[in-house]
Amino acid sequence: MKFGLFYEISVPRPWEADTEYNVYQNCLEQVRLADELGFDQVWAVEHHFLEEYSHCSAPEIFLTACAMQTKNIRIGRGIVVCVPQFNNPIKAAEVAATMDIVSGGRLEFGTGRSATWTELGGFGADPDETKKTWDEWTRIIPKMWTQDRFQYEGRAFSMPQRAVLPKPYQKPHPPMWVAVTSPGTELDAADRGMGSLGLTFGGFQEQEKKIAEYRRRIKYCNPVGSFVNEAVNTVNFLFCHEDNEYGAKTGQRLAGTFNYLAEQLLAARQAYPTRSYPNLGLLPALRREATSAPEGQIPEGLAIGNPERIVQVIKNWESVGVDRINFLLNAVETVPQEEVLASLRLFAKEVMPKFADSRQPVGASAAGGV
Amino acid sequence: MPLVGSRNLSDLFRAAPLVSVASEDRWQLPGAQILQLMYEIDDAQMTALIPPALHPTIPPTLVFTVTRAPESPAGPFVLAEVKVGARSGARPRGFLARGYCDSAEAMKALGNRWGYPLLQAQVTLDKRYDRIRATVKAGGATVLELTLLNPEPISGNDLQYLANLNLARVTRDGSALDRLVQVDPDYVFRSADRGKPQLDAFDAAAWQLAGAKPIHAVSASYAVADITMPVLRYLVDPVKPPLQAVERL
Repeated sequence: MKFGLFYEISVPRPWEADTEYNVYQNCLEQVRLADELGFDQVWAVEHHFLEEYSHCSAPEIFLTACAMQTKNIRIGRGIVVCVPQFNNPIKAAEVAATMDIVSGGRLEFGTGRSATWTELGGFGADPDETKKTWDEWTRIIPKMWTQDRFQYEGRAFSMPQRAVLPKPYQKPHPPMWVAVTSPGTELDAADRGMGSLGLTFGGFQEQEKKIAEYRRRIKYCNPVGSFVNEAVNTVNFLFCHEDNEYGAKTGQRLAGTFNYLAEQLLAARQAYPTRSYPNLGLLPALRREATSAPEGQIPEGLAIGNPERIVQVIKNWESVGVDRINFLLNAVETVPQEEVLASLRLFAKEVMPKFADSRQPVGASAAGGV
Repeated sequence: MPLVGSRNLSDLFRAAPLVSVASEDRWQLPGAQILQLMYEIDDAQMTALIPPALHPTIPPTLVFTVTRAPESPAGPFVLAEVKVGARSGARPRGFLARGYCDSAEAMKALGNRWGYPLLQAQVTLDKRYDRIRATVKAGGATVLELTLLNPEPISGNDLQYLANLNLARVTRDGSALDRLVQVDPDYVFRSADRGKPQLDAFDAAAWQLAGAKPIHAVSASYAVADITMPVLRYLVDPVKPPLQAVERL
């Protein structure tokens, strides 16, 4: 089991001159501490226009700052939006390779397609097309990394023969992941030999079925990259405190705030009728998990409470096949920074050692090491 | 935390229908035709169109819906609504300040039973193979004209309709209270299409949405569905903060 951080970078109103600056500085301080404490990875989303919920539109910059301020923690692009109105695949390959070089081979490369009309509409993207362009990009970007010169005639993208430079520091290239929010996307990940970067929680039973199917399917995959990245990464909330009741209460407040903000956005499916978005993406699943517990009880899958409870929760996730858990630490600064840092320290001291035997260097599992 | 509405609805409640929340009626509306368009609106009115109990969506939106019910307990009718996209706490809703109906009998029943704040008008829905068009003419003026162009079949499962929050008065404990009445019909789809939205005329003031300015077309859909009008379950107190505003019946 490996542990990481996951950043949406949510910024509370009122937005004063230094509000965003302070939130970013808090996030960077958390990442520096996490690196010292032995966390394996830090992921940051790419979102646009998502007021309060996520002010993380240039994750490559944030993650580069993380890399420059840390020594070991891996940096996860979670995710590159593989939609031409948002990004260009050549540029995405180049930026990722550069991040990998300057971080000394610490990049994890996540891919996805956006799930909100707020973003898709903002960029003028066609919701019907996003799955197709994602599919096309995930196949060509690793070739841009590994071929001396690359040319391509495709459906949504074409280019004449060129050397796409620089090349990643990790050879053959960084591990590749797919953001999984819609049902069935974990199978898309498996079929392509990519890691499953789960962005919804679900209960243990539901996840166990999905993970088992992912493991079955990936055995027969046709990998888009040069190697298979069989790994299941999930997202969770973390608030660890000696007092279980206080920890759970604070953690539930964090989760509730995060989900409340998410629900203010306009999901693609809510605005535009399309088969391409069969559900609402991460939004309702996050809310369900954060609230679906009998009165007075803590939702079963959330890593909140005292260390003993969190150890048990993580053991349960481990038992259903999860390899890595990335934690959301805050939402619109609901939890004071000092408490976030204390929570990380306590988790590292009391929880992480319980999983030390199962912890391997992250790059090793993906066979994408330098 | 998210923005909230700033609108004072007191004046509108004076003319709002009085709802009997005790009724257990469930109307069946078989074979109803539903034309719906969504537009983003200028954010200058983002909070001014909704009361403090609601959050605006990001981005702010209007939802235009015209429903023709060929059969109902009150006879056939055509109902036109322009709703403001909103969130009641974390729940997606459409706030309806005024709608129009072509049938006096249906208008009265929909108001008394489900709180639809309606005026009578000439409402039409015209389905052709290359377009579906609806118009609303009130007081001699066209207050809404909208079109779905080039319909193409989709699955009804791809459609999602907002539950209404209708501006109405509700009798509880012997007094009439100003409330938003949640109406979330059940839909069983027979067919569905989507196409290009086109808004040809919209008089915002005629819909009690003065200042609302549609600026960006989002989507258009047309469906034929069997609708079940629900038993009322929730009210919203418009002046309370979102997390305190919902009342269960």
